[in-house]
Amino acid sequence: MNNAENFMQNKPLSEQTAAHPAQPLQQLLTRPDIWQLASRQRQPRTGISTGYRGLDALLASHGWPRGASTELLVDKAGIGEVSLILPALAEMTRQNRLVILLNPPHIPYAPALAQAGVQLEKLLLLHPRGQRDQLWAAEQALQSGACGALVSWQGRETLADKDLRRLQLAAREGGGLHFHFRPGSSASTPSPAALRLQLHSDGKQLALQLLKQLNGKSGQRLHLARNPDLTRRDQPLH
Amino acid sequence: MLWLCIQLPKLSLEALTRAHRAGDTAPVAVSQSNLIIEANLAAHALNIEPGLSIATACAYCPGLQLLERDTEREAQLLQQLAQWAYGFTPVVSPRIGNPDSKALSEGPACLFLELGGSLKAQGGLAPLLQQLGKELHKMRITHRMGLGHSPSAAHLLSQLPEHRQWLAETRTPPSPQQWKQWISFAPSKLLDCSNKAIAKLYACGIKRVSQLLAIPLSEVGNRFGRDFIDYLARLNGSRPDPVPGYQPPAEFHSELFFPSPLDNSEQLLFPAGRLVRELCRQLQRRQLYSPTLYWILDYGSRGAEVVNVELSRPLFDPQRLIALTKLQLERVELKEPVQALALRCKQLRPLETTMLREDFFEESGNQHESYQLIDKLKARLGHQALSGVTLKESYLPEQAWASADSLNLQSKPRGHQLHPINAPRPNWLLSRPDRIQQRDHSLFYDGELQLLQGPERIDGYWWQHHRHARDYYIARGPQGSLYWVFQDLTSEDWFLHGVYS
Repeated sequence: MNNAENFMQNKPLSEQTAAHPAQPLQQLLTRPDIWQLASRQRQPRTGISTGYRGLDALLASHGWPRGASTELLVDKAGIGEVSLILPALAEMTRQNRLVILLNPPHIPYAPALAQAGVQLEKLLLLHPRGQRDQLWAAEQALQSGACGALVSWQGRETLADKDLRRLQLAAREGGGLHFHFRPGSSASTPSPAALRLQLHSDGKQLALQLLKQLNGKSGQRLHLARNPDLTRRDQPLH
Repeated sequence: MLWLCIQLPKLSLEALTRAHRAGDTAPVAVSQSNLIIEANLAAHALNIEPGLSIATACAYCPGLQLLERDTEREAQLLQQLAQWAYGFTPVVSPRIGNPDSKALSEGPACLFLELGGSLKAQGGLAPLLQQLGKELHKMRITHRMGLGHSPSAAHLLSQLPEHRQWLAETRTPPSPQQWKQWISFAPSKLLDCSNKAIAKLYACGIKRVSQLLAIPLSEVGNRFGRDFIDYLARLNGSRPDPVPGYQPPAEFHSELFFPSPLDNSEQLLFPAGRLVRELCRQLQRRQLYSPTLYWILDYGSRGAEVVNVELSRPLFDPQRLIALTKLQLERVELKEPVQALALRCKQLRPLETTMLREDFFEESGNQHESYQLIDKLKARLGHQALSGVTLKESYLPEQAWASADSLNLQSKPRGHQLHPINAPRPNWLLSRPDRIQQRDHSLFYDGELQLLQGPERIDGYWWQHHRHARDYYIARGPQGSLYWVFQDLTSEDWFLHGVYS
C-alpha cells in the first residue's frame, strides 16, 4: 500500500508508522517474566482456573500458572489443602489429561474424588522408592507434556534448591501444572517456584497468604470458606 | 500350486554367528566329529572347505575360530525362519537338514512355501521373490531358491543353477511344460535320494532325469524300490506331495548367541535392537501384540537373568521398544559375561478393533504421549510403583474404592458405571484406621476433637461372621483440621478413618 492510497482512504500516516515499532514491544510484553502493572486487569486468563473466584482474582494469570511450579506450604493436613487444588485437577482429567499423584501421604479416596468431578481413569498414583527415582519420575512426567498436573509431597528429606529448579524447568517444558506440598517451615528459604502460597486454618476457614508470585503482587491474604456441608454444626449426640 | 523351496546351506554356521556384526572378518568354521562342516567367507578365502579335518584346517589358518555344531540352535533358527515365512503365506513347511548320508533325504535344511495363494497380495511373483530375498539378506541368512509345482520339484530345481538364474529374472510363474523341461534337464545327482541310489544311477549311465523318465516305471521300481518310484511320481506331479504343515506358536522366541561373551550391558543394545526388529515385523504380519517382553540374559552354566519390559498398549515401533529396553538394561548389573541374549514373548494377543479405534479417532497425540510416559515410568520404577484408583460397590468405606491396574487406567470405562455415594467423604483415607484417645467423654487426636456432624451409621456384613458396625462423625481438631472419625459399635472404641484435606 503506497502513500497515495493511504490518502485516498483517509488514513493518517502516523498510525501506519506507529504500528511497526509496536510489534517488537508487543512481543516483549507477552513474555511471562515481564510484569506490566497498568494492564493487569485486562490481561487474559492464561492459567487454569482454581475454581475459587477470589483466588483467581489475586493470581497474575487468573488461575494456577501453567508450566510452572506452585508451592503450597502446609503444616497440618485436613485444613482443605487438597480441596483447594481439586477443581483444577478435575478440570485436567476432564480435558483428558493425566493427573499424577507422586507419593501421596494417604490413600486418595476414590468416592470423594469422583464426587469432585475427577475422572478416575485419568488419575495415576506413583510410588517410586528413594529420592532419586522420585525426582526422576517427577521430571519425566512434567517434561512429557502428557501430564496435565503433577502433585508431589515433600518426603522426609528436603529437596535441594537445584532439584526444585530442575522441576520448575521441566514444568516449563511440558506446560503442565505442578503442585508441590511442603511444610510451613520452608517459607523462609527461597525457592524457584513461580507461586508460593502459605496455607493455614483459622478455625472455620482456609487462610491463604501469597508469599511469592512471579510477575504479580504478593503478600495478599485471602480467606476461603470450606464446604458448608462439612462445617455445619448440628450438635451430634454420642 | 506353486511351491518355493528355500534352501539354507549355511544354517549350521549362521545359527552360531548371526550375532556378529556385519564387518567381522575373522575366519570362523563349524566342526562336527573332527571334520569341518561349514566355514565363513573369510575362512573360505584361506582354503578352508567343508570336509577338511580340524588338524588340516588349523594348519591352513592358525587363527581359525572353531565352533562346535549345535543342532538344537539350528532347529530353533529354522523354526524362527518358518515363523518369518508364515508372514508371506499360510502354507509353510520347514525341513531339518540331515547330515547323515545314509538317510533318504540329505542336504541342508530348507523351507517350503506355497506361493500360489499369496501372489496377488504381494504384488506378483517378482516383487514377492525380491522381498523374500531382501529380508533373508537382512537377517544374514544364505539361501538358494527354487520354484516348482510340487515341494519335491522345487527342492530339486533349487539346486539347479540355470533354474536359479531364470528365477532371478522371471516375472510370471512358468507353464507346466516348462516344469517338465527343467526337471528332465536336471542332472540326476540332484535327485533327493541316498548317495547309494545316485551311484547306482550313474553306474547305469543315467546322468539326466530325462533318461530316467524314459525308462518304464516298473523297471525303475525293480531296481530302486517302491520309495524311489513314489518320489518320481511326486516329482512329476502325478501323485500328491504332502509336506507337514507349520502352525506358528502363540509366542515369540528368538535368541542370539555370542561366541565371545559380552560383559557390558551397553554392548547388549546392538543385538537387542536386531531381536526387537524381528519381533516387530513378526507382530505386524500376524496382527498380534505382546503386553510384555522378556529379555533373557544367558550366563551360560551360571544361570540366566530375566528382565521384562511391560507395555501399556500395542506398540510396533522398534525404536521405542529399544528405548524402553535400554531403560531396563541400564539398571541391570551383569553378574557374569552374557553368552546369549534371548527375547521371548509368552503370550501374543490378537489386536482388537477397539484399540485401533482409540488410536485413530478418539484422542490423538495427547493419549499417545501418556502411554509413552506410563511405559517409561514402568520400565524404570517397576510395575508395582504405578497404580490407579477406581470405585467399587460397597457399603464399607474402605471397600468403596479399589486399586486399579495402570493398564486399564487409560481406557474409558465401558458398560456399567458406578456412582459415588452422595455424602461428604474425605479426600484422604487412612490405610488403617488410627486409634483415637478417649478421656472423660472427650476425644484426643493431636488435641481435643470437637464433633460437628453425625452420626452416619454404616452397618455392614452383619450377616457374616465379622460384623462392621460403625457410627461416623465429622470432627474438627484444635488447628482447624477436619477429620472423619468413627466409633466402633461393638467395641465402643474411637478411630480416625479419613482426613478432609
